[in-house]
Amino acid sequence: MLKYVLKRLLSAVFTLAIILTIVFFLLRQMPIEGYFDNFDKMSEAAIQSKLRQMGLNDPFFVQLKRFFADLLHGDLGASAKYRVGESVAVIIRQKAPISIEFGLVSMLIALVLGVPLGAAMARSKVWDRFGTVFIVLINAVPSAIYYIFIQMYGTQLLGTKMLFDKTLPVTWILPLFSMALGNIAYYAMWLRRYMVDEMTHDYVKLARAKGVPTRRIMMKHVFRNAVVPMIQYLPTSLLYTVCGSIYIESLYSIPGMGGLLVEVISLQDNPMVQALVMIFSCIGIVGLLIGDLLMAAVDPRISFVKKEGSR
Amino acid sequence: MKSMADRAANRVEAGAQADERFGFATYDPDAAERRGYSDYSYWGSTLRAFLKNRVALCLLLLLVVLLAFTFIQPYLPGQYDANRINNYPATGLQVNNMNPSMHNVSGTVPADTLLRCTEVKGLDGWYSVTNEILTIPKRTDFTVLEYGEEWCRVSYKGQEGFLKNQRLKLPDDPTQTPYEAKCNFPISLFFESADYTNDDTNSGGYVYVRRADVNEPENGMVRTKAETKLYAFPSTHGFLFGTNSIGQDLWARVWSGTRTSLYIGFMVALTEALIGIVVGVIWGYVRALDRILTEVYNVLDNIPTTIVLILIAYIMSPSVSTLIFAMCMTRWMGMARFIRNQIIIIRDRDYNIASRCLGADSRQIMIKNLLPYLVSVIMLRMALAIPGAIGSEVFITYIGLGVPLDTPSLGNLINEGRKLFAGAPALRYQLFFPTIILSLVTVSFYIIGNAFADAADPKNHV
Repeated sequence: MLKYVLKRLLSAVFTLAIILTIVFFLLRQMPIEGYFDNFDKMSEAAIQSKLRQMGLNDPFFVQLKRFFADLLHGDLGASAKYRVGESVAVIIRQKAPISIEFGLVSMLIALVLGVPLGAAMARSKVWDRFGTVFIVLINAVPSAIYYIFIQMYGTQLLGTKMLFDKTLPVTWILPLFSMALGNIAYYAMWLRRYMVDEMTHDYVKLARAKGVPTRRIMMKHVFRNAVVPMIQYLPTSLLYTVCGSIYIESLYSIPGMGGLLVEVISLQDNPMVQALVMIFSCIGIVGLLIGDLLMAAVDPRISFVKKEGSR
Repeated sequence: MKSMADRAANRVEAGAQADERFGFATYDPDAAERRGYSDYSYWGSTLRAFLKNRVALCLLLLLVVLLAFTFIQPYLPGQYDANRINNYPATGLQVNNMNPSMHNVSGTVPADTLLRCTEVKGLDGWYSVTNEILTIPKRTDFTVLEYGEEWCRVSYKGQEGFLKNQRLKLPDDPTQTPYEAKCNFPISLFFESADYTNDDTNSGGYVYVRRADVNEPENGMVRTKAETKLYAFPSTHGFLFGTNSIGQDLWARVWSGTRTSLYIGFMVALTEALIGIVVGVIWGYVRALDRILTEVYNVLDNIPTTIVLILIAYIMSPSVSTLIFAMCMTRWMGMARFIRNQIIIIRDRDYNIASRCLGADSRQIMIKNLLPYLVSVIMLRMALAIPGAIGSEVFITYIGLGVPLDTPSLGNLINEGRKLFAGAPALRYQLFFPTIILSLVTVSFYIIGNAFADAADPKNHV
């Protein structure tokens, strides 16, 4: 098992290096105009000197070597345009906790509401109807739209301010709730699907024939088996809370990570983009790995280590 | 010799008998049922199962009607062009943020109403009119002849008229007329105790009447023949969804935008499916490629979409086809991965191994064995890809990389409406209309897709 994990981590490092190289290359293809706020008014010499100062005039491989050398020394560089001169690590350390807090609480809400909803949908017709309507709406209508409506009418209903205020807990409710909505639908939908699939299996019939009460069958057998495929999704979404939500954080002006990547890309702040891409890719890769391991831990039938005779 | 001839004759006889005995049977459902034969056809059963789902059928009809209407709409009478900026003829300023209306009627006046009128060049069949005589400058004295709670009859420079009893500086007992008064603001003097002017500042206060409804103008004045409708804009075809902030007709823009968005949705879904299926099937079935392609996927999946979108927008000029290209570039991977996972589940089933043993090559197994099994899930993914593509167009527009404003799409209409939504409650209609259409389209596709996938799943066939 340990060998398997090490092997995957090793290949993850390679993958990460390739991702960073590609992103590094793509960033160097961006228009030069993007690096300056007032490109039209600047003289050619000023442009060249600024480019040299940012190190953009060197050959590509020299730049790449410098970047990886800095990275291996644990230096993510300093922001070039977003907050000029400030260390990228400091900016991220400031912003990430807010997004993580929001993400974790909203995930908790999603689990607390979504899992019972899914379980109820698998058991009762009325809940199934209600839940289906909810899931269809949430999945089909673009989230940008219902977020706006929740903000407008929610703030009126609660009688609070439109924007997020750290000192007023009431203003936290709506962003948390909006953030959880998508995941509530997701958990409910998949749990229902897996539970319904699970209920058709023979062991359920056997348990019923033995006279095990329905409640007990549901809780002890069906639910436990249905949760397994969902476990894989959990670590990734837990880790991805760092990324924040672009819509919600900009709607409520929460100073988190949401939209930071998009913003620094459009600002062409190369050090920031590289650092964020690295963090997010790490999260993606590690999340998948932990998910696989968790799944193997929960369900002993799943194994990632090659067995004798298997291809 | 004889025996040979006999045999030949026998053979002919047998042939004749065979023709009688082995003719084609006609299909008889009763007989078929007795022998356990069924005239099962995959697509026939799919269609039959789908037609049973009333809700999905209704929504399919709705979608077809919507789609047809987006094409018919420009050819209906009295439509405005989606990009035409409408101006008030009297002032030449934009008809901005006009509320939705059926006929542009801003009010009616009784017969024999006196209105000041101006003829606008090139505006046949209409007069621009107002019942405002003039504007009294601020802090100018006028004589109040008659006092009323709402309207006061006053005289100013020999002109008698009415003005609204608002913000006037009046003596302690205003009923003791006549007396001099003034107002600290410019105030309009009307022919009668009613305000028939347009509130919108861009209109210059002018409203419009049809020439047929009024007498010939004398000294720049017209009288209405009978009860007459006043129009805010000189056209009997109203702005059904109102106008946007630069005076474009939102009705035309919404339909044009729906057309664009559906086009984007279909194109992206088709391309995504095509590339995704080809790559996904190879990825899933060819074991030697699995590791390499998985690594490639991990790399591509982690490159931020935004960088790709910005670079594509930079290399190609922003347009619908650029957007479609960019979305296909970033979305096919999800489809490929999905197909790959499905293929992996079914590739080692016994029937595939049997085919392999009988000598089928990989291409045959992929096309004949694997893909048909996946039709239902592929259909579901495609049906969901359409609302997905429309939704992500909204997102791409939100981060500022969408199609230019002169190509209306539901994405940029919603984005424009969103900007006005919080600030101006009266202008919320500019978000509501595109939102309603978009939600109708996406929800319909979602439900139809699910219903079709259920119908296409052989497990649900009888």
